[in-house]
Amino acid sequence: MRRFVSKNGEGMKQGVDPDELTRPFWEAANEHRLVVQNCAACDRLQHPPARSCHRCGSGDALEWKEVSGRGRIYNYGVVHDCPIRLLQADQPFNVAVIMLNDDPGIQMYSHLPGTPVDDVPVGADVEVVFEATANGQKVPEWRVVAEAR
Amino acid sequence: MKTSPAPASVYRTAEGLGLWEHRGNVAAVGIGHSPTFRRWDGTPENSVGGISLLALRRAMDDAGVNPADIDGLVMDPSTTTGAFWPRGKPLPWEAINAYNRTDEPLDGITGLSADWILANMPELTGIEFTMYGMGCMSNAIVVAAQAIGDGRARTCLVLKSWHNLEGRYYQGGANAGNAIPGSSAIRSLWGTPACFGTAVQFAEYCRKYGKSHDMMAPFIENSRQNGLKFPEGYWAQHRPEEITPEDYEAARWIAKPANLFDNDMPIMVSAAYLFTTAESARHLKQKPVYVLNHATSRTRPRSLTPTLDEVEADTARTARKIYEGAGITADDLSFENMYDGFALFHQFHIEGLGYRGLKFGEALDFYQTDISISGPNPVSPSGGNIGCGRSRFWMHTDCIQQIQQRAGARQVTGVKPEVAVSGGPMPVGGNYMVWSATPG
Amino acid sequence: MILISFDIDGTLEEGDPPGILSMDFVREAKILGHFVGSCSDRPISAQRAMWARHGIEVDFAVSKHMLAEVKSQFPADVYYHIGDREDLDKRPAEQAGFEFLWPNEAMERPWLSCWLAGPRSRA
Repeated sequence: MRRFVSKNGEGMKQGVDPDELTRPFWEAANEHRLVVQNCAACDRLQHPPARSCHRCGSGDALEWKEVSGRGRIYNYGVVHDCPIRLLQADQPFNVAVIMLNDDPGIQMYSHLPGTPVDDVPVGADVEVVFEATANGQKVPEWRVVAEAR
Repeated sequence: MKTSPAPASVYRTAEGLGLWEHRGNVAAVGIGHSPTFRRWDGTPENSVGGISLLALRRAMDDAGVNPADIDGLVMDPSTTTGAFWPRGKPLPWEAINAYNRTDEPLDGITGLSADWILANMPELTGIEFTMYGMGCMSNAIVVAAQAIGDGRARTCLVLKSWHNLEGRYYQGGANAGNAIPGSSAIRSLWGTPACFGTAVQFAEYCRKYGKSHDMMAPFIENSRQNGLKFPEGYWAQHRPEEITPEDYEAARWIAKPANLFDNDMPIMVSAAYLFTTAESARHLKQKPVYVLNHATSRTRPRSLTPTLDEVEADTARTARKIYEGAGITADDLSFENMYDGFALFHQFHIEGLGYRGLKFGEALDFYQTDISISGPNPVSPSGGNIGCGRSRFWMHTDCIQQIQQRAGARQVTGVKPEVAVSGGPMPVGGNYMVWSATPG
Repeated sequence: MILISFDIDGTLEEGDPPGILSMDFVREAKILGHFVGSCSDRPISAQRAMWARHGIEVDFAVSKHMLAEVKSQFPADVYYHIGDREDLDKRPAEQAGFEFLWPNEAMERPWLSCWLAGPRSRA
């Protein structure tokens, strides 16, 4: 029986076709940089990217800001019934919600490569890594670097 | 007649608005349900259009209203539970042509416009007001109640219908492809099923309050038992299966800690209500059920999925809006019928309400007590989606029927059904209604 | 010894949607001495009730993810799971060490197709 260690190079995420709204995010990922949309008027990050600031409504003040790539595991679920065909062979797998140290209100999802299934250290520190998807586009992923605080 | 989605001004989204200006002046007086089906069988009469016509006519019959006296129609034009007509599949012309069609061939099959309804209900000769309440019945009844209160309609039909086609959801389309657009990839690349966000909130809930998933079992068991007493529901009509604690705990995970029975099952069904003014309601066949308030949450989560803190803040805010506009407190609630379309929503809803004095983190312990329809603390007497299949409207039908004392085997007996609250779907983002046996 | 696990919906005629395998097919498998049971998304109590309704004494009734447990409890030479879904039947069956059969394939297997020649022909 296979040992389900989530997304440790076993499977492959769907490829990504960057669109106008998200292109800077994906281009930065290919350069191993993590950027998040920021409203310069509010000095407030937002993610997922949008065409206007969720707080002030401005579209003109939106910019892309590089962040530290450090975060913390908020909590997680273990996916057993995945809608994405390419990932179904890897079920079950972890999906954690990561909160960025730069702003804990900003979340990203992670398969937590290297972390055994359903053995996720909630509250642990993580750092960003970049993983290639099916079409070569890189995507931010997260690895545990320290135990839960 | 051009029909538009309701404007933002219809919804009571803010705190501090005071009593609803039409409190007690609007009433529900009629209910019409279609039969339920797991999937469309391809026949015209069981198409989403066909079952909608049936539900609307039943609602008018139930209220004893002449169709010519109806002047308003509020409905949701979207009928999908996640199923769309497959690209390239021949259109079902026999069913399409069985009715007066609109320019959109699949109108009445995988969607439903007000034009389609009006084209196929010639008896509705007096319609002067139409509006869309988008998403679910919870939205549509809010729109209808406000429209009646504002005098835009006097006697209004409210409709919500669902279609369901063959096949498993979410397995085709982009999910089966090798690449997806960047905007959706930010959320979708990780393969999370629909219940994932709720599962994470529940995981955090269990961690924070020291609870466990098995503590949900009495709620699930109770919901299905109530649903099996709901003759309009899917499980009562087709598969009278209970869900025992053993069944629940043995179910496979979808996204742990959300399992199969925490997820509802898509079905085809239609329901219609008849709303009118309190004054008109007095002369109709059924006992009026008065609307004391409606409230709406439009809160946007900060990022990908609401945190537990965001959920709790918003359910508490929603409760304050509900109570303020209705002029009641939690102590006035005879019972509650909050949404359960992931079962793991329900504890968030009722803790936010402070139902029976519940505080955050206490609902799962509450579930271990008597939450049945015969006890003093009924929880989800409708059985909700878990008890009846995915419709998002069982809770409203149940509130009306309970207060009218015609809920049959499901009638609450441990409390006098005087004031109730229903609504959803999401704990963060939904529409809610306060129902009452008296105008206030 | 053979163990046969039946999915219900889309596989058995009792299913929703109905499948092609009749209850007589299951009954005959049981008469032939195989371990027989169901592995379905239906509640376990509902699976048991269904078998009781048809007077078939099954050896197990489990949820979809429990085939590995079934295998550990019943010593057999070969384990089959018959179902209609790639993701919900075939994949978990193969992960649990079962041989997977689509319903039409099961109809053609010699160890069960004998029922087509008449009930109890090999009993």
